[in-house]
Amino acid sequence: MIAPAIPPGYRETRLVDPFEIFVGPVYETGEGASRRFVLVVDARHVNLRGGIHGGMLMTLADLTLGAAVWDATDNAACVTMSMQTQFLKAAREGDLIEVCPQITRRTRSLVFARCDFTVAGELIFTAASVWKLLGRD
Amino acid sequence: MSEIPPGLPEGAEPASTGGFNLYIGPLYRLPDAENGGLKRFAFIAAEKHMNAAGTVHGGMLMSFVDVAMSRTSRLVTGAPRCSTVSLTTDFVGPGRLGDVIEARIRVTRQTRTMLFLSGEVVVGDRTLLIATGLWKVDGDT
Repeated sequence: MIAPAIPPGYRETRLVDPFEIFVGPVYETGEGASRRFVLVVDARHVNLRGGIHGGMLMTLADLTLGAAVWDATDNAACVTMSMQTQFLKAAREGDLIEVCPQITRRTRSLVFARCDFTVAGELIFTAASVWKLLGRD
Repeated sequence: MSEIPPGLPEGAEPASTGGFNLYIGPLYRLPDAENGGLKRFAFIAAEKHMNAAGTVHGGMLMSFVDVAMSRTSRLVTGAPRCSTVSLTTDFVGPGRLGDVIEARIRVTRQTRTMLFLSGEVVVGDRTLLIATGLWKVDGDT
């Protein structure tokens, strides 16, 4: 496998969930609300047609949206309640996927968050999600 | 071919073909229900599928539904390739380590180029996730 070209200024994202570690690594830059992420698509992430698997895109969405929700809540315990995804275009092995998650609204017990995935500036995938902050009515 | 582990329902067959679905697998196809109207798939939750809270990661459950709906699309159309256009998932309950997790997928409507799918992911009579998806039937090229 060719070593991925990580953009200058990016660092490896600290992952704690075994499934995220299993499909990672993911890299990030910026702090807090301006934190952005990249994934280099490798041979593990693609299907037999050579395109990234939809499951990997949704896993990356869950990972990055979860990080954004954490950032917005001082690392509150939270779970994904719902996610809506659209698959606009395939990404291929070696592509660098950039993710900019954003919080769209926060209430006492819920957080709404969305993200766009781009490859070389072209939109390939979007996700919108709702998160529940545990233990808050 | 790999052995079918104990705990899976009768008639389970390996369904992981390669690439990502093999990496996150093994995933299995189960015999159809409702006279072919319900396509069934399964996997056994292992350490690699979990999150830090000790439940099955949402990304794994979405990946499983994506594989199940993609395979269902190919089964009912006979098309060699089908692509996910959109997928909506609601996380109803947690999956645990060792659970035999099953997907039950139904085709709501099929046109020449599109499929509307719905399904649920369950452990026994407990629902983990419900999903609706839109799939595109790709051409031969």
